[in-house]
Amino acid sequence: MRLVSPRFQALALALLGCGFVVACGDADRRALQEMPPFCQEVLPAVDAHMAQFEEPSGEEYGGTAVVGGLGELSGGMNSLVTPEHMARQHQEFVNLMTLVQVEADLEYRPHLARQWEFDPGAGELTFHLRDDVYWHDGQPTTAHDVAFTYRRASDPATGFFSMSSWEPYVDGPDAVEVLDDHTVRFRVEPHAEPLEIWRLLAIMPGHLLEDVPPEELRNHPYGTRCPVGNGPFVFQEHRPGASWSFVRNPGFPEGLGGPPRLDRYVYRVIPEQGTLLTELLTGSVDVYLAPNPDVASRIDTEEGARLLDFTFREYVAVVWNTRRAELADRRVRRALTLGVNRQEIIDATLGGFGEVANAGVPPFHWAHHPGLADSLRHDPDEARRLLDEAGWVERGQDGVRENEDGIPLNITVSYNMGNQQRQDIAQIMQAQLAEIGVGLQPEGVEWGAFVGEMTSADRRNFDGAVLSIITALHVSDYDQFHSTSVDQPMGLSGVVDDEMDHLLDTLQVVVDRHEAIPLWHRYQERVVALQPYTYFFFPRRLAGVGERLQGVEMDVRGDLMSVSQWWIPAQERRRP
Amino acid sequence: MVGYIVRRLLAAIPLVLGVATIVFFVVNLAPGDPASIYSAPGVSPQAVEQMRQNMGLDRPIHERYVRWMGAMLQGDFGISFSRNQPVRDVIAQILPNTLILSASALLLAFGAGILIGVVQAVRQNTFTDGALSVGTLFFYSMPSFWLALMLILIFSLYARNVWGWPLWLPASGMVSVDHNAMGPWEQVLDRLRHLVLPSASLALVLAAGVARYMRGSMLEVIRQDYIRTARAKGLPERTVILKHAVRNALIPVVTLLGLYLPVLFSGTVVIETVFAWPGMGKLMVDSIFQRDYPVVMAGAFVFAVMVVVGNLVADLLYAAVDPRIRYE
Repeated sequence: MRLVSPRFQALALALLGCGFVVACGDADRRALQEMPPFCQEVLPAVDAHMAQFEEPSGEEYGGTAVVGGLGELSGGMNSLVTPEHMARQHQEFVNLMTLVQVEADLEYRPHLARQWEFDPGAGELTFHLRDDVYWHDGQPTTAHDVAFTYRRASDPATGFFSMSSWEPYVDGPDAVEVLDDHTVRFRVEPHAEPLEIWRLLAIMPGHLLEDVPPEELRNHPYGTRCPVGNGPFVFQEHRPGASWSFVRNPGFPEGLGGPPRLDRYVYRVIPEQGTLLTELLTGSVDVYLAPNPDVASRIDTEEGARLLDFTFREYVAVVWNTRRAELADRRVRRALTLGVNRQEIIDATLGGFGEVANAGVPPFHWAHHPGLADSLRHDPDEARRLLDEAGWVERGQDGVRENEDGIPLNITVSYNMGNQQRQDIAQIMQAQLAEIGVGLQPEGVEWGAFVGEMTSADRRNFDGAVLSIITALHVSDYDQFHSTSVDQPMGLSGVVDDEMDHLLDTLQVVVDRHEAIPLWHRYQERVVALQPYTYFFFPRRLAGVGERLQGVEMDVRGDLMSVSQWWIPAQERRRP
Repeated sequence: MVGYIVRRLLAAIPLVLGVATIVFFVVNLAPGDPASIYSAPGVSPQAVEQMRQNMGLDRPIHERYVRWMGAMLQGDFGISFSRNQPVRDVIAQILPNTLILSASALLLAFGAGILIGVVQAVRQNTFTDGALSVGTLFFYSMPSFWLALMLILIFSLYARNVWGWPLWLPASGMVSVDHNAMGPWEQVLDRLRHLVLPSASLALVLAAGVARYMRGSMLEVIRQDYIRTARAKGLPERTVILKHAVRNALIPVVTLLGLYLPVLFSGTVVIETVFAWPGMGKLMVDSIFQRDYPVVMAGAFVFAVMVVVGNLVADLLYAAVDPRIRYE
C-alpha cells in the first residue's frame, strides 16, 4: 500500500534529511577558516602560548560555572567601545585587567599597576606596571599598551563612552609618556579621583590593535570574535545571542591570586526570568544575575539555591523638568517629594530590597550624608502647606489644585514602556499625590522616544520622568546639575544654582577625602533643598547562586569580583 | 516546473524589495535615536555624537536609503550597532538555528495534526472524537508563551526536582555547556533534548489548527462516491482510509503550510525568547529594543524571503499530493 506518491516520499525524505544534517552538523561552531583574517592569526598564537603551561593541580581546581544573565554582552571584550555594565564586568574581572582595583572601602589597590604616584602639584600621575603579566598570545603587557589604550580612548573618533574622564588630561594624546616598558606617566590637571578611570578602563593589547583606525575599533572582530586578553580567563568561544565561554589562564601570575579555580567560565544569555529561575533551580545555571525582587523571593525559599543581596551603585528617581512653569518653584517640587511615601514604594516594587534615597550618593559611599535620612519623610500636611504657599490652592471640583489663573496642577510623569517597576512607581505616585491635590498622569513611552524626548536639548518634552542611573564608584553629578550642563543631554532637570555650581566645581578637584566630606555633605543638602529630582531608592543588587558553587562574593565592586576564587567540589562538577 | 519556479522567484523580487523599503522607512522614521541610548551620566555629548557619526546616522535619510539598498543588493547588510559585526555574519550564524526550530515544529505540527484529524474523522461523534476536539481546542486557544512556560515547569523543573525523571528536558539553549566534551551520538541526543520543548510549544498550537482542518476535510472526502466504491470492492477499511481518503483530504491541508509560515516565524519571536534559543526571532526582538536598525531591516528582509520561498514550496507540494495539478 502506498499512502503517497514516490515523488512526495522523496521530497519528504529530503526535507527530513536536510533537517537532520542541520541538526547534527555543528552550525554554531565556526571553523577557524571561516573567521576573519585577524582571528585566524591571533587564535592559534593563543593556543600555542597556553599549551606551554601546566594546569594547576589540587582539589579546588576544576569544573565549569555557568552564569545566566538577561542580555548579551554588547560590544564584547573591547573596553574602548562598550558602555554596557555586564560587558565591562567581564572585561574587568574575567578577560582583561585594569591598572587598579578597589577594596571594599573604595580605597584603590594595585592590580596591573603594582604601584603609582600622583603629584597634584606637578600634575603627574605615574604608574609602575607588573612585569609578570602577559597577553594570552604570549606578548608581555607593557606601558606601551597603557599608552595605546589612553590614546585610543581619548580620541573622539573612537567613541569612548566616558570622554569626560579625559578632561583633566589637557595635553590630549601628548599627555602620556612611556618612561620604560613598565613605567608610564600622565600629565593630569588636579583632579579629585585621578585613579577612577583606570579602575574602569581595562587595558587593551596595543600590539594587536595599533594599526586599526580609531573609528574602526568598534566593529573590529577583536571585540566579539576573538578577544585576546591578559586576565585570569582566556576567551574560548562566543555563540552570538547565546553564550560566551572562557577557560582558565594557567599562566595568570601568582602575585595576583594565581590561576582561577574553575576550568571554565560560561556566561549564558537567557532573556526570560522564569526560564532563568528554572535553570538555576535545576542546576543548569550556577548564578542568576540580577533577578527581579518577585523572583528573588522564590530563590530565597527554594532548595538548591541561595540569594545574595548587596548594595549597588544605582538609584531610581523622578527627574522634574524645572523649565516647566508648574515645576519651576522648588516648593512645588519639595511638596511632590513629601507627598510620596517612598518606603511604601520600596515595599511594593522591590519587596523591601532597597533603601530610601535623598540624593544621588549611595549609602555605602564615603561621601554619603547620613544626616539627610529624616529630611524628606512622607508628610502630606507639609506638602499641602507648601503647595498653598506656592499659590496652588484647591479650587477645582475634581480635587486638583489650581493657581490664581485657574490653571490646574496637572503633571505628566513618563516612563519607558514595558518597564513594570517604573510603571508601578508612576501609578503609586498618581494615587498618593491625588491626596494632596496634584493631578498626576502616568504615560508610557517607547524607550527610544523616551530617551530622545528627554535628552535632546531642543525638545525636553516631559514634565517628570522615572529613570534609574548607575553611578561610577566616583560619584559626580556635574553633568546633571552644573549650570554649564543645562543644554547637554544629561542636563535633564535644567536646574541652575550658583552654590551648586561652586560645590560641583570644588568637588571636582579636592583630592583629600577628609577635606571633601563636608563639601559633599553640603552639596547633598543643597540637592535636597532644590529637589531637581524626587529620589526614591537605592535598590539592592540581587543574585541567585546555586548551592554547589563556592567562594562567591559580591558587593558594590561587581557581581564577578571574586570569579577567580569560585570553585566547585569535585563530586559536583560537570564535564570540562 | 523549473520555468514556473523561476517565474515565481522573479515575481517575488519587487515584493521583497518593497517590503525592504517599507521596513527601512518605518524603522528609520520611528521616533528615537539609536545613539541616544548611550546618553548617561559621564557619557559626553561628543561621544554620543561620535557614535551617531560612526553609525552613519548623521546623513540624510534618502542618502542612507540609497546606500543601504545599494549595499544590500550586493549582499552587504551593514554593521550591527549592538553586536559590532557585519549583519551578514550575524544572520549567517543565527538563521540556521531558526530554520532548525521552524522545520522541526512544522514537521511535528503537520504530523500530529494530520494524525489527530484522521482519527477524529474516522471515529466521528465518538468519545475519542470529542476528547480530541476538546484537547485540540485547548491547545488552539492557548497563548504559545504560556504553553511554553507550562512545559518548562512540568518537563524541566518538576520533572527533575520533584519527580526525579531521568529524562527531564532542558529549559533553555540549543546545547548543554559541556556539549563539546560529548561523543557524537551524545551530541545528537543533546541537541534533540534541547529541541523538544521549544518545537513542541510552537507545534502544539499549530497542530490543533491542522487537526481541525484535517478532520473537516476527511469528513468531506469519506462521503464521496469513490470511497463508497472502494468499500464496495471489499477493500479493508484501513486501506480505504489511508490510501484513498487521506491523500485526497491532504490537498486543502497543504494550503495551510503556506498560511502557517508567517505565523510560525512570528511565533519564534516569543518562543525563542522564552527558551533562550539564539534564533532570528530573539535577534529581532533584541535589535528592536536596542534600535539596531541594520539588523531589524535585514531580519525583516530575510523573513520576507523565507515566507515567499515557503509559499512557493507549499504550491509545489500541491503537485506532489495531487497528480492532477501540473505547473507548466
